Amino acid sequence: MDLIINNLSKTYANGVKALQNISLEIPTGMFGLLGPNGAGKSTLMRTIATLQEADSGHISLGDIDVLKQKNELRQVLGYLPQQFGLYPKISAEVLLNHFAVLKGITNKGERKDLVEALLHKTNLYDVKKQNLKGYSGGMKQRFGIAQALLNNPKLLIVDEPTAGLDPVERNRFYNVLSELGEQTVVILSTHIVDDVKELCTNMAIINQGQVCLKGKPLQILENLKDRVYKKTIEKSELKAYKQNYNVISEKLFLGKPTIHILSDANPGDGFSLINAQLEDVYFAEIFNTTNAKSI
Amino acid sequence: MWYTIFKFELQYRSKRADTYVFFLFLFLFSIVGVDFIFQGSEMGLMKKNSPIVIAKTMGAITGLFMILASMIMGVSVLRDFEYNIESLMFTTPIHKKDYLLGRFLGAFTVLLFAFTGILIGMMLGEFMPWHNPEDLMAFNAMLYIKTFLLITLPILFFGASLFFVTGALSRNLVVVYTQGIIVFVIFMLTKAISNEFWQAIIDPFSLTTTTFITKSWSALEKSTQDLPLFGPLLYNKLFWAALGVIALIYGYKKFNFNVVKEKRSKKTKSQLVTHKTATDASDIIIPKANKHYGLLSKWNQLKQFTWFYFTGIFKQASFWGIVICGMIIILINSVNLGTVYGVDSYPATYFIVEELKETSMYFFIILLVFYSGELVWKERSAKLDLIYDATPMSNFIKLLGKYMGLNLIYVVLMLALMGSGIIFQTLRGYYNYEFQVYVSGFFLEILPFLALYTCIAFFIQSVVNHKFLGIMLVIVCFIANIALGLFGYNHDLYFFGGSALGAYSDMNGYGHFLKPYLIIKSYWLLFGMLLLIMSALVNVRGTETNLLKRLKASKYRVSKPLFKLTVMVCLLFITIGSFIFYNTNVLNTYWTNSEATDFRIAYEKALKPFEYIPQPKIVDVNLQVELYPETRDYTVEGYYILKNNTKEDITSIHIQKLLEENVTLDAIAFEGGFTTNSKYKKFEYSIFNLNTALQPGDVVKMHFKQSFTTRGFESGNSNVNINYNGTFFNNSDLPTIGYNKKYELNDADERKDYGLPVRIQTANRADLNELKNARNGSDSDGINFEMIIGTSNNQTALAPGSLLRKWTANNRNYFHYKMKKPMINFYAIVSAEYETQKEQWKICYDSVAKPVDLEIYYHKTHQYNIDRMMMAMKASLTYFSTNFSPYQYEQLRIMEFPRYAKFAQSFPGTIPFSEAIGFVLDIDDEKDVDMAFYVTAHEIAHQWFGMQVEAANVKGRLTILETLSQYAAMMVLKQHYSEEKVLQFIETQKEEYKKGKDKEDATEPSLALVENQDYIYYAKGAINMYEFQKAIGEEQVNKALQRFIEDWNTTNGKLKMNTDRYATTQDLLRYFKEVTPKNLQHIIVNLFESVKPITL
Repeated sequence: MDLIINNLSKTYANGVKALQNISLEIPTGMFGLLGPNGAGKSTLMRTIATLQEADSGHISLGDIDVLKQKNELRQVLGYLPQQFGLYPKISAEVLLNHFAVLKGITNKGERKDLVEALLHKTNLYDVKKQNLKGYSGGMKQRFGIAQALLNNPKLLIVDEPTAGLDPVERNRFYNVLSELGEQTVVILSTHIVDDVKELCTNMAIINQGQVCLKGKPLQILENLKDRVYKKTIEKSELKAYKQNYNVISEKLFLGKPTIHILSDANPGDGFSLINAQLEDVYFAEIFNTTNAKSI
Repeated sequence: MWYTIFKFELQYRSKRADTYVFFLFLFLFSIVGVDFIFQGSEMGLMKKNSPIVIAKTMGAITGLFMILASMIMGVSVLRDFEYNIESLMFTTPIHKKDYLLGRFLGAFTVLLFAFTGILIGMMLGEFMPWHNPEDLMAFNAMLYIKTFLLITLPILFFGASLFFVTGALSRNLVVVYTQGIIVFVIFMLTKAISNEFWQAIIDPFSLTTTTFITKSWSALEKSTQDLPLFGPLLYNKLFWAALGVIALIYGYKKFNFNVVKEKRSKKTKSQLVTHKTATDASDIIIPKANKHYGLLSKWNQLKQFTWFYFTGIFKQASFWGIVICGMIIILINSVNLGTVYGVDSYPATYFIVEELKETSMYFFIILLVFYSGELVWKERSAKLDLIYDATPMSNFIKLLGKYMGLNLIYVVLMLALMGSGIIFQTLRGYYNYEFQVYVSGFFLEILPFLALYTCIAFFIQSVVNHKFLGIMLVIVCFIANIALGLFGYNHDLYFFGGSALGAYSDMNGYGHFLKPYLIIKSYWLLFGMLLLIMSALVNVRGTETNLLKRLKASKYRVSKPLFKLTVMVCLLFITIGSFIFYNTNVLNTYWTNSEATDFRIAYEKALKPFEYIPQPKIVDVNLQVELYPETRDYTVEGYYILKNNTKEDITSIHIQKLLEENVTLDAIAFEGGFTTNSKYKKFEYSIFNLNTALQPGDVVKMHFKQSFTTRGFESGNSNVNINYNGTFFNNSDLPTIGYNKKYELNDADERKDYGLPVRIQTANRADLNELKNARNGSDSDGINFEMIIGTSNNQTALAPGSLLRKWTANNRNYFHYKMKKPMINFYAIVSAEYETQKEQWKICYDSVAKPVDLEIYYHKTHQYNIDRMMMAMKASLTYFSTNFSPYQYEQLRIMEFPRYAKFAQSFPGTIPFSEAIGFVLDIDDEKDVDMAFYVTAHEIAHQWFGMQVEAANVKGRLTILETLSQYAAMMVLKQHYSEEKVLQFIETQKEEYKKGKDKEDATEPSLALVENQDYIYYAKGAINMYEFQKAIGEEQVNKALQRFIEDWNTTNGKLKMNTDRYATTQDLLRYFKEVTPKNLQHIIVNLFESVKPITL
């Protein structure tokens, strides 16, 4: 069952074009949605999650017309928003149980087993009686995924789930996610490129409300093969390099700018060919779309 | 530095809508403030803008809306925590002092701005067109400003400090709200302080303070004098301001810039434990639970949600604060239950429930207003809304779960209040708990009221989508609905929630009020359900907050089951509404206030000319009454004999039927033939032209049949005389002769508006027409009386006269009464299930006299004071027949009737006595006056003053009837108990006098010329008669009264027989003067003829 997004557009009351003719086909498995802050990722995710109306366009999951049959979609939806809070004074077990009822799991015995299994799965079992107030960021995020999995979703949307997590927590979180990809459409939005590389079989990059690239990470990388060069320069030179080359990213390395450029032929001039990383793809695309805009 | 913070606070607040909403709200409310606060209380001579009225109104409004102060002040620091910027804030190098001071002063400035709404609103209110210019003094802006600074400002400062500090320390909004309750509780507790001075010092809103410092003022002084600044008022203000300062200092010391509160060390520890081994979770298989979306699962969800939201509130400390406050308040405050002249009643459950309802209403409203806001916003406040909104849960079920949860919260408070009521009863040694009265009092009366307003609150919160604005609108709704009722728009079909349930009576339970109440409540609950459904449809779900877009999207939210439910509820709502309409407007007629007024005006204009036309008098009454208590019907059939006592022929007889729709005059006929003139049919007033004129001295028999038929139910208050148990009505319900003054429009202002002449309440002593009347529109100068009453088989029916026969037929009880002597045309018909106590009394020195049957008919659980009443009967009969004249009847009966009216009333040989006075008094002979005894003695005295002597229907009439009865009863009290008890009673009368005098809006009349001022003829009468007998001696007074009765006895008085007029105070005072020595004659002038106020 694929999620198909067709020509989706949304303009906010203040004139911001959050989504512009977005079309995507998302098959079962992990799907990475990359984009800088404010690219429209969250708007897209919320629209898919029935929390926001679109101005035009169409979304369907199998037979479900997402924009119209909201309740039908919600029955198979797991959603973990970018930011959420928790009731401070109740325990994980109680709140998870409450969410299970919300999602229609009204058989008491089944619910109990399910909640317990999920608490184990997310490694929260030992603290299930503790008030949520005391939870750390990682625990909170794990609780979030536990609640998203309650109804055995066909579509799972996780919006920047690893922001603020330490590497250990991040890995733990992805372990849980990656198991699901086998029979579920999982949409993972992030601006951390490595997340996508590690987890996703498909991906798209959006910027300024538009899809600028979609495909499989490996294929995309293939397109950049032998085209990315690197050089460490002096700060004062940076402006000149930017004029002369397609600089897709600049980073500091030991205090000096290191630039990556895109070039079909070897530019010489001290540049060395590097193995393109997904990050370069990302920067290249952002570079392209943003430049296209400003011209 | 603090100034920057202060400025920022002002800038921030000036951009927020709430600031202006608060101001506007107070402003609008204050325009009608004086009218609202003093609604229903007699202002007497006090002007509506006199200093004391302004002070009290400002105090009360400030008190009522202290809660706004909590909303403004409480959030000032809390805001930083709510928006999660506390970490940014507290790590800047600002000093704690600057931060707190800036924030406090900023918020306090905003608070002052909002509360100037009171100042400006009240000033503007003075110019509102509905005020009568006579009620106002010249406008004085300074007075308002001064009062505002003196009354409102200090307590506002206290409130501001308290709320600011609690907000900063607790960091919890609900705790801040509940502070308002604490202040209210303090206010209630000050009422329990018996020392007036301290009460005046401590009352936060200085309501009792202003009363205290103006205690000795005359009405004129109260109207004009400024309140003295020095003295209790100043102390009071200083006290509260000082408490405010203490709160601020405490808050300053306790507040620190830590983001995490240092508590709960146990829990932080357990949090540390969690970072242990990350077990490999991949082998855990998540079971696939079945998802259900059917009705059964909806039901299960509803149960779980209800419980979830219920426990959410139930666990909060602030809720328990409210519960404990509610419980304490009755234990400390409610010491006066069903008090009659300073004597309390037994703490019967219905008294307790009424007291609890009164004191706890504020608590319930706080719960309702704030927790409905909290619940609707619960997910969004916790930032969990997106997770909730993406689940397949139905909006309606979730909202309904919150709704039920809040209702369960009310139930918990109710159970707690019941518990405290039971504790209270137990402490008083009263063990007859009557749980069903508790249960119905709370669950039948309060819960539906709260449930309905909760629907409104949820609806408003859902639509408005702004928590504080929602809260304000809910309060506005409360007030608007009260106002709607006050303006007379109170039909149960559109007056939100319908009328309140009628009073509970031990005798009659909820009687016939219950059924219509339940039907009307279900009608409104269905309406509430529709509101909830609508709320669920427009509730914010997802990120769209624009109301129009939500309205547009709402059609996609209607699921099939919800649609079915809506249709069902709509249909039921319409059906029940039509049923109510059928009952109130088809079976019965609904009168709006203005319709009733128009009717009265038309009545007076059309019929006033007939007021004194010659009419025959009733001389004989012979009736058969059939009472059907179980259906609340009756029929009366029989005849009057009418006699022409005038000196001219009478050709037409004017008959007025009772203006009540249930009552029909089925037949009426005059012997000798007649024709009917139906010109005034719409006033139920018929003129019957006799075929042969009635010559002077001639009689004619008038047959009639009247019936009372209960059809369905009426809107609002229905007839409380005809009951399932405890019927009590008198002959003014039967056809009367001629014009009825009682149907005239009474209110002086209204009369002026409609161009009617000033109504003379009571005629002058020289009024020849009224001198011949013993009461308004009197249609008789005495009758022979005979009556057969039938009633249901478990009830006893009573009327004046000897019981000739008693029998049972058709499974009904019949009683045949006949008065063997002439009596006044004033008789009551009473029927209820009774216990009886019977004794006999005979005057000791007269061995041939027939004994008098003494009977008390009482409700089975009201045995407490029967012996006292019996004792009073004997003592009174003995004293009065020894000192005034013999008792005229063969029997004397007391019959209890339900507490819908709170009086006892004397009819010939019969005294209907309300269950609210006397029967349930808890009399302590050590410290109380035996009021059961006293009231009985007073009523028995009327057998002389009222039955033996009647007074002309002119000024001073009630002095003869009531003052003399007060005197007589005091003398019996003195003889049976002691002089001290009489003095104690006099003290209560002084209080009554003072209260009455404060409310008087005209000048105080003398006893000789009193009209209907009860503080004169009851209270001052008792005080002055006591002084009079002290001065000239009890014996001398009794001698005068004996002579008065001898001369003016209606049936055989020496003077009365030679005149067609009745006695006046002029006559009475002549007898007083006769027995008063020359050197004391002036005291008669002082006590009875002059208006010398009593010095207290």
